[in-house]
Amino acid sequence: MYYLSVGVLVPSLIGLAFVLPLLGMIIKNIKFFHAYASAASLYALVVAAYNFSIVVKEGVKAYPFGGWWPPIGISYELDEVNSLIALLTASVMFLITLYSAWYIRDLKDAPYYYTLLLGLEVGMLGCIYTGDAFNLFVMLEVMSISAYALVGFYRNKPEAVEAAIKYGLFGAVATTLYFIGLVFIYASFGTLNMADLTNKVTLFWGYDLVSGYYYGQVYAATAIALALSLWAFTFKSAVFPNHFWLPDAHPEAPTPVSAALSGLVVNVGVYATFRFLYTIFNPFSAVSGLRDLILLVTLVLGLASGLIGALMMAVQDDIKRLLAYSTISHIGLVLVGLSIGSSLLSKPGSQAFVDGLTGAFYHLINHSLGKSLLFLTAGVIIYAAGGTRRLDELGGVARRNPLLGAALIIGVLQLLGIPPFGGFFSKYLLYASYLEAGAPYISVIINVISAISLLGYVRLLYAALFTTPKREFVRASALPTIILLILSVACLITGILSPIMSEWLRRFVEATTSRDGILNYWLQGYLIFWGR
Amino acid sequence: MSELNTFLFNILLFSLFFNVGISLYGIFARPSLIKKIIALTIFSDTANVLAIAVGYRGWPSPSQPPIPPVITTTEPSIDDLTWFARQAVDPLPQALVLTAIVIGLAVTLFLVFLTLQVYRLYGTTDVRRVARLRG
Repeated sequence: MYYLSVGVLVPSLIGLAFVLPLLGMIIKNIKFFHAYASAASLYALVVAAYNFSIVVKEGVKAYPFGGWWPPIGISYELDEVNSLIALLTASVMFLITLYSAWYIRDLKDAPYYYTLLLGLEVGMLGCIYTGDAFNLFVMLEVMSISAYALVGFYRNKPEAVEAAIKYGLFGAVATTLYFIGLVFIYASFGTLNMADLTNKVTLFWGYDLVSGYYYGQVYAATAIALALSLWAFTFKSAVFPNHFWLPDAHPEAPTPVSAALSGLVVNVGVYATFRFLYTIFNPFSAVSGLRDLILLVTLVLGLASGLIGALMMAVQDDIKRLLAYSTISHIGLVLVGLSIGSSLLSKPGSQAFVDGLTGAFYHLINHSLGKSLLFLTAGVIIYAAGGTRRLDELGGVARRNPLLGAALIIGVLQLLGIPPFGGFFSKYLLYASYLEAGAPYISVIINVISAISLLGYVRLLYAALFTTPKREFVRASALPTIILLILSVACLITGILSPIMSEWLRRFVEATTSRDGILNYWLQGYLIFWGR
Repeated sequence: MSELNTFLFNILLFSLFFNVGISLYGIFARPSLIKKIIALTIFSDTANVLAIAVGYRGWPSPSQPPIPPVITTTEPSIDDLTWFARQAVDPLPQALVLTAIVIGLAVTLFLVFLTLQVYRLYGTTDVRRVARLRG
């Protein structure tokens, strides 16, 4: 039994996105496009929420496209973790689309902007939903091309064009490297379906008749494929040393897009890393030795990008650039949490293992909410400060508008990890998991990263709140204020409900990464279609 | 004959990886944006040729050269299908390559447009001078 809603979301949203330029030729009223895009992303939110509820109620769900059963056709497969991330993506994207209606209120190019924004959402949802490694490549490219174009959206601004070409050129290299990795996977395993690959790597049931036997040097090919695909994923999530494009690209985009890029697009790389290292090449598989090595590398890279992001934050003069470096730091922390699964640190299913992964996903959610809140607040602040992005010219604009100031403080506290907010509890879980795993020095480094990042956040708060206001009071309109309020409340909720949230996440992580969970991923994604 | 086949196959693989090296050098080290884009297309084409080469199952086997994945009989029997499945090259990498080419076209077009825009705004396509002009 499969649900249509699992498969229908991404293709229908692509259709809704690409109708927009045509409509732009007929309809000249910009308001229509604001309403249209908001309705489309509301639709995505509703379907994503429905899918999430299905998965929570009934477990893993797969959808074979065109009636071609996996591994022959492309299938989408939803388990607890990816339906949750998709729900997060769709809800934050809905708020960002609403905010865009205020941000680009008199822009002539609104249809094109919304085409790209919806394309970005389609790409992200496709990457998250997909159960096919090649479809992941296609969706990664859909997401990336939208992201490149959105970074260079102000095409007459030299900095924006330069940032976009840097991002685009190296992003194309990264995705092509992932394609080469896929060629290696296909050459040795004879399949690209994730559920089928999981079976072939883990040997639940030997090999299967549809996609044949193994070919050639499977172990070496897996090593090359994993190295290449992890390179691509860490590029997409801007982990050191592939972070160089992010501080240029994210600030130059229109502010709602910066929020989407910094809060959501980087999640996709982290999610793909999780899918590769915990489902396909899982801890119970025949390549667990290789996996340990790669998780060690991601641990070191995560710590390095956490430190570098936190250090570079302290020396920035540009409010959006500061927030972009903060993204690098936080994604580093999430990757550190994901690296707990190496057998050198913890056994699968142990306290440290589950805590680390729970902490990683909890931090991912907290960071998405907090960072999109901060970027959207920064958009209003920049507007109120007369278009400048320099910290020393902001001149305490948030002081004149208490709601804006409150949103800024809540966002900073969320990311910094101060108790009533979610950031504290997720950082605590990461910290506790490495203590439990017997690696206290890594816990200490996590704390050091938080402490260093305090410098940058204090500069931000000082510039926006504590300097004497120089300008006239500019009243922010109602729409962005309401969106900032919603996001602030969401940040507060992730903190206050942290016992419930972490319990849920722990259940999801256990259901996804246990041996039974991985077996179930294969059964539901592959065998169920052939077993009748 | 089989040694010759192995030799040719190895030359193919070697030249593909050599090509990857050259094109990555071109992308990362050449200063001109146009040359970077040319190197990028070489890189993605190399990846595509690699995928096509992977599709040649059982190659090199001089006695049974692979056939195109097209069934020529209109109403094939089971025997025809078995023979076909043993002989034909794998069509899936070709489908993958088709998709990758289309995506590569979109990316290349976009990058070329951006390069044009860089030239309009900075008056040069040399990344060193662009970085200096940006200040």
